[in-house]
Amino acid sequence: MDDKYKFVEFLGLRFNVANDLSVLVSAVLVFILVFALSRKVTMRPGKAQNVLEWMIDFTNGIVKSAIPDGSGKQFNLYAFVLFLFIFVSNQLGLFFQLKVGGFTYVKSPTSNPLITMGLATVSLLISHYYAVKKFGFGGYLANYARPVKFLLPINLLEEFTNFLTLSLRLYGNIFAGEVLLALIGTVAKSLGAVTFVAAMPLAMVWQGFSVFIGAIQAYVFTTLSMVYISRKMEQE
Amino acid sequence: MAGLLVLGANQVALGDMLFILISFIVLALLVKHFAWGPVTKMMDARSEKITGDLDYADQERSRAEKLAKEREDALKNSRAEAVEIVNKAKESGETQEKSIVSAAHSEAEELRQRAKSDAAKAREDAMAGAQNDIANLSLEIASKVISKELNADDQKSLIDSYIKELTVNETK
Repeated sequence: MDDKYKFVEFLGLRFNVANDLSVLVSAVLVFILVFALSRKVTMRPGKAQNVLEWMIDFTNGIVKSAIPDGSGKQFNLYAFVLFLFIFVSNQLGLFFQLKVGGFTYVKSPTSNPLITMGLATVSLLISHYYAVKKFGFGGYLANYARPVKFLLPINLLEEFTNFLTLSLRLYGNIFAGEVLLALIGTVAKSLGAVTFVAAMPLAMVWQGFSVFIGAIQAYVFTTLSMVYISRKMEQE
Repeated sequence: MAGLLVLGANQVALGDMLFILISFIVLALLVKHFAWGPVTKMMDARSEKITGDLDYADQERSRAEKLAKEREDALKNSRAEAVEIVNKAKESGETQEKSIVSAAHSEAEELRQRAKSDAAKAREDAMAGAQNDIANLSLEIASKVISKELNADDQKSLIDSYIKELTVNETK
């Protein structure tokens, strides 16, 4: 789209201020949410604690369905934070976009491929780390030639496709949502009051659908991360 | 935006990846410290407590059942004991009654015997006394009548024979 971003150079690296600010806002929102829900932790849970425990049970269920044996427990926290962070990030751009002087400062951080690639990198690094930890480095490398040797190039290729599909699926969904929302916005402004009224229900419908997509994509990303981790940790 | 997708060295904000890596890790640590840790700990504690409570309830129920059974047995025993005590009391009462009655019987019999023997003895004594008196009296009368000193012994035997005849006649 026609968004413009401010860039900052620091230690030879380029930082997109909009991305980083959005990530920060999402992280802070997630932290505030979780922090507020976990203030009075008691044996008999109150309303807030019940909500938090429901969310924890939900992400634990995702982990358990991908890694049925007990070894999945160590990924419970990762799945929980990942799910909440992506969910909040996806929704952030729907209700809160900050533009100052033509430059975007806050939007959905997941509508940028670098951010989703960063998240996918975390997931895949975890999967490789635990595979090496479980089989040793030799065993980990040998796993690429399983179940039969001639699949080695395909297995290697799969590592890259996993990374790309995991990150670009999330990015594509959220970015498309924002693009369409912006298009509806330009339609609304194009011909004055008539198009404004006509575009209003369209925008509402699409926003509702984007909330749904955001939730689904958070679920899909978390589930696939866990599936990749579990596939790395078992021998075919 | 399109420029970002081109992986040109100068245009790509690779710092963003670093930024999200760091912020995600920091977020995970904060969440773990402030929410995840306490809540999962409490969840584990709760599931442990529920298991413990269920076990304890099972234990208590079996204990209560055992106690109730014991009490029932004790009640049954006490009923049997009570019957036994009553029976024993009845029995001892009966034996006591019998012994008292028999003692009374024997005492009465003894009294009767004693009275009988006393009466017989008194009668004998009276008879002997009367015999002597009558003998002496008749001897005196005879001596006075005949004015002759008779041999007392002959006389006496004579009178005795008389009297014996008399008593024999009397008893007839």
